[in-house]
Amino acid sequence: MKRLLPYVAVIIDSFHSALSSRILWIAFFAIWLLLGALAPIGYREDYTTTFVDRDLDNASRLKAMLAQGLADSSKTNQPVGRIARALPEDLKRQLRQVGEGEDVRIWYSTLSDALNELFDDDSWYDAQAWQSTVRLRELRVLDESLDGQLSDSQRKRQTRLRIEAALPGVFEGRSARSIRMTYAGFDFPARLAIDKTQFLIVLNQMVFPTIIKWLLGYILVFLGILVTASIVPDMLQPGSLHLLLSKPISRWMLLISKFIGGCAFVCLCVVQLVVGLYFIAGLRLDVWNARLLLSIPVFVFVFAVFYSVSVFAGLRWRSPILAIGVTCIFAVFCIVIGWVGGLFDAFVSRPDSIKTVALSGDQVFVTTRGEGLLRWQEETSQWEEIFESEAIGSDRVLPPVTLNDGSIATAHVDGGRMNVFGMGAFDLLVLSEANQWRPQPSLRLPTATTRLLVGADDIVAANTSDIAITSQRKVKQAIDPDSKAASDKTKAKPDWMAKLSNMMGVPTEGFENLLPSSIVLSPPRTLAIDSSGNRLALLSGKQLYLLERRPEVEPSWTITASKTLAGELPRIASLAINQSHLLLATEKNELMLFANGSLTDPVSIEIPNDLTPLLVISLDDARRFAVLTSDQRCRILSHSDATSEWDWQKTLPNSKIETIGFDPRTQRFVLAHHVDRIDVLDSQTLSPRRQLRPQLSTWRKVSRYLITPLRTITPQTGEVGGTIAAIISGESAVTMHRDGSGPAEQIRYKILSPILSCGIFIIAMISLSCYYFTRRDF
Amino acid sequence: MVGLAQRSTESANEHSTTSVVHVRDLTKTYSGWSFRGRKVVNALRGVSLDAFRGEVFGLLGPNGAGKTTLIKILLGVVRSSSGTASLFGKPAGSTDARMQVGYLPESLRVDRHHTARSALRYYGRMSRMSAAEITRRSDELLELVGLEGRDRESVRQFSKGMYQRLGLAQALMHDPDLLVLDEPTDGLDPVGRNEVRMVIDRLRESGKTIFLNSHILQEVELICSRVAIMAKGKICAVGRIDDLVRSESFSEVQFEVTQNNASQEELALALRHNFPELLLDEHLHWGPVMRFILPLSTQDQVNHAVDRIREAGLSLRGLTLKHASLEDTFMEAVRMSETQDGADGLVPEPEMSIAPITGSTASIEANT
Repeated sequence: MKRLLPYVAVIIDSFHSALSSRILWIAFFAIWLLLGALAPIGYREDYTTTFVDRDLDNASRLKAMLAQGLADSSKTNQPVGRIARALPEDLKRQLRQVGEGEDVRIWYSTLSDALNELFDDDSWYDAQAWQSTVRLRELRVLDESLDGQLSDSQRKRQTRLRIEAALPGVFEGRSARSIRMTYAGFDFPARLAIDKTQFLIVLNQMVFPTIIKWLLGYILVFLGILVTASIVPDMLQPGSLHLLLSKPISRWMLLISKFIGGCAFVCLCVVQLVVGLYFIAGLRLDVWNARLLLSIPVFVFVFAVFYSVSVFAGLRWRSPILAIGVTCIFAVFCIVIGWVGGLFDAFVSRPDSIKTVALSGDQVFVTTRGEGLLRWQEETSQWEEIFESEAIGSDRVLPPVTLNDGSIATAHVDGGRMNVFGMGAFDLLVLSEANQWRPQPSLRLPTATTRLLVGADDIVAANTSDIAITSQRKVKQAIDPDSKAASDKTKAKPDWMAKLSNMMGVPTEGFENLLPSSIVLSPPRTLAIDSSGNRLALLSGKQLYLLERRPEVEPSWTITASKTLAGELPRIASLAINQSHLLLATEKNELMLFANGSLTDPVSIEIPNDLTPLLVISLDDARRFAVLTSDQRCRILSHSDATSEWDWQKTLPNSKIETIGFDPRTQRFVLAHHVDRIDVLDSQTLSPRRQLRPQLSTWRKVSRYLITPLRTITPQTGEVGGTIAAIISGESAVTMHRDGSGPAEQIRYKILSPILSCGIFIIAMISLSCYYFTRRDF
Repeated sequence: MVGLAQRSTESANEHSTTSVVHVRDLTKTYSGWSFRGRKVVNALRGVSLDAFRGEVFGLLGPNGAGKTTLIKILLGVVRSSSGTASLFGKPAGSTDARMQVGYLPESLRVDRHHTARSALRYYGRMSRMSAAEITRRSDELLELVGLEGRDRESVRQFSKGMYQRLGLAQALMHDPDLLVLDEPTDGLDPVGRNEVRMVIDRLRESGKTIFLNSHILQEVELICSRVAIMAKGKICAVGRIDDLVRSESFSEVQFEVTQNNASQEELALALRHNFPELLLDEHLHWGPVMRFILPLSTQDQVNHAVDRIREAGLSLRGLTLKHASLEDTFMEAVRMSETQDGADGLVPEPEMSIAPITGSTASIEANT
């Protein structure tokens, strides 16, 4: 122990040395100033009243409803008519143009602002007219209370609920109370369209990681480099170094002590900032997130990466300026490599990643994250592009489904990603072997269809507000062999009423409405149909429904069970159904399993390792489900006859799974993994039957053989931000995408690999510095 | 102060023949690369010397002679290319050797955040001293070097002399047996120099070995018992100062002559007549007794000059052999080393005077 005393003295001395630096005190002052500026931030909960543009879930439908309310004289006295008439003149003129069939673009914010004007004067309201609307319990309670009893906020809330009731299927589901940020007691102008729970999630998952990443990851690390750059060159000054080296201490230990001293000093700054933020978050925002404090060691670690470079440069050139310069160049190099790597992920790997799979005999069709539709070509071992994958495209492809005769049904929406509702309608496309798998247009799909399903002899099309059904026979009959994939322009122009209905997403010709009128879909929307085609499970918002078809009665689809989920509105959800059970997965790390026909008493099945389920599918034998989890692995949930309980049977060996699929006709289970590889498994034995290994494109080769090795050897300091986010939020991934088709897209935080790469780098740099310092004459 | 005095009683004058610093055939070659290609500098070319327990050993030499390199090798700051160097019988640079050495670098630099006391604490920690030891020694040494009362001031306000005193104090912190002092009186005023000299004397009395590197020859003459003169990476001379200076190398003789009843002019005429080589303007001193200097370096020449003076009828009133001073010896050694080096730079030069290891008497004595 006594032998270590000199080194402890060196560390403490580095501390003292740093404390005497003026830059440090400027940094401290800046930190206290920042914390002082942040301290008055607060929030309060308020009723969710006025609309913001993000509240509109289906603006096309809103446009169409309002236009219809204006144009259709029968609606004059109905709520939608009364609201439409109370809108500002400018908007009414635009809406009339919509009604006349013109293609008018109206900004979301224009619509929300117009609706907000309704709050000032509620002469448009008529209690009689609103009797016919589906009113939430909250509205009924407010309506029943006496005028004088309502506060101003409550009256505004009442107005909002009345508007929502008059325009169903238009708005995002929002909670009754939302957050308003305050600063020193004054409200911020904008209301956050989230409730307190979501607010806390946003704080923990987005705001804190971002602040911490910028403040610590860039500003403080840079300041730290500035302050500590002189430690090693100062030590190397002749009058100081020779004296130190003449003492009975080892050189490499001396250098490591100096290194630790520098890191310890940066720790001092980071501790102040993070502890300050922790208390502000706790005292002002009620977020006592102790995980915030864990970012301290992580950022000292990031600093150590740069400091190890600074130490070596300081040793080599003995100049603080050069040490800072070299370290900055190195930091820029790391950032550029991270940035280029990110570009390759976004523009090379991601567009090629498989999102959904469909099998037809030997043929394999996939859609990609770049919204391409691809077919496997056995001869060339490559994917043939039917619709091209694009990194920045606005087109969209519906996940293909296999019809009973082996042909594939899908649809291609131009400009559909930015506006999933489409400006007009689009056709169902059928690809059959007889036509060399070229798409042929068939029936017109309801507007904004996001998902197709096949059940027995039917095709089910779900859009943002409704579900329509048609028979496969009708689809085949409607194939127009002469026409290519068509947009609405090639079709006969429908009358304005039909067009407005179209915009609202009602079933088109050939399709029938499946849902009872009492159900209007709201996000998250997901559905599953069983192999008999007679039972359909549906999740809309927090409502879970089970519908059954009884051909003998009218309407043929009826709700047999429904259930309101407890807890928060899930952001992602996936459903699977087989003959006996219904499996629901939300972002919680447990699955809910419902017994046949009933939605009561679900069995809760925990997913190991805190993972999030991304996609669940039925393996069609009443006893097994496959679950794709956020670690990109696939787990099989199976029913044991012996114990008659459901349990995890096995985890498939494949890693980096993009999506999973099941083909009931061939009983094949399909895994897409490692971007665009496919394994076709036997669904009973889960043993591979076929493996598709496409050849790499040039850019993918560059990515694999140049960018990936470069990223591996460069310390991934930028990605430590992900580590921080993971630590602070306690989640291993953040869900980025939700569109009802394919698994939810997740950005997985790299937790271990950046720490590992940075750790190896630090050890390598310090070893090099120690070797240099030990071997060199000074 | 007190501690030093106590220890001195037992070890004073206990000169032993134990070699504290032992250097044999030490060479050091620096090589580096520049735009003009490889650059090789032979800083040490086979240095051998010994310093013994209880002596003050001075290392002299012009700039670039290799003195600092030698000290750095002794302290383990630089590794030698070949040869051996040991302190107390332990390889120079080993932790054990360094435990027993106190070093005062030439231009000591103490980090600006220190006070004298905190600097002593820091350097004491480096030598593995305990907190109690550090406090005790700090008090003693601050008093010894005359920094008591100013020990809590920031070193930023220190003058060069105060730095030097602080440097001396830190070198003594762990009570080392060998002190390596590089220009210890550099930057000090005469009073300060005197104080440092007294400290060194006391340390020598207490049995410490002191290895001193200095440019100031008078100081070396005053303090050192033995010196080594270095030039061009080699030792030119080593031995006791008396031995080096009392060598045969006298080069001038001063005569004092007079002539009864002779005027100055007559005296001058007689001298000019008998010593045509004499440059009277420079060497002749006017007065009743005339002094002049002749460049003579052997006894025969002196005898001959005396004969000529007597033959000229002059009375010899005085004769003084002009001994070489340490400076002369130093200059002569450096000059010889340069000429030899010019003739054959690679051949090791034989030592100019014999340097008896035991420090015995001089080899040549001038006949006065």
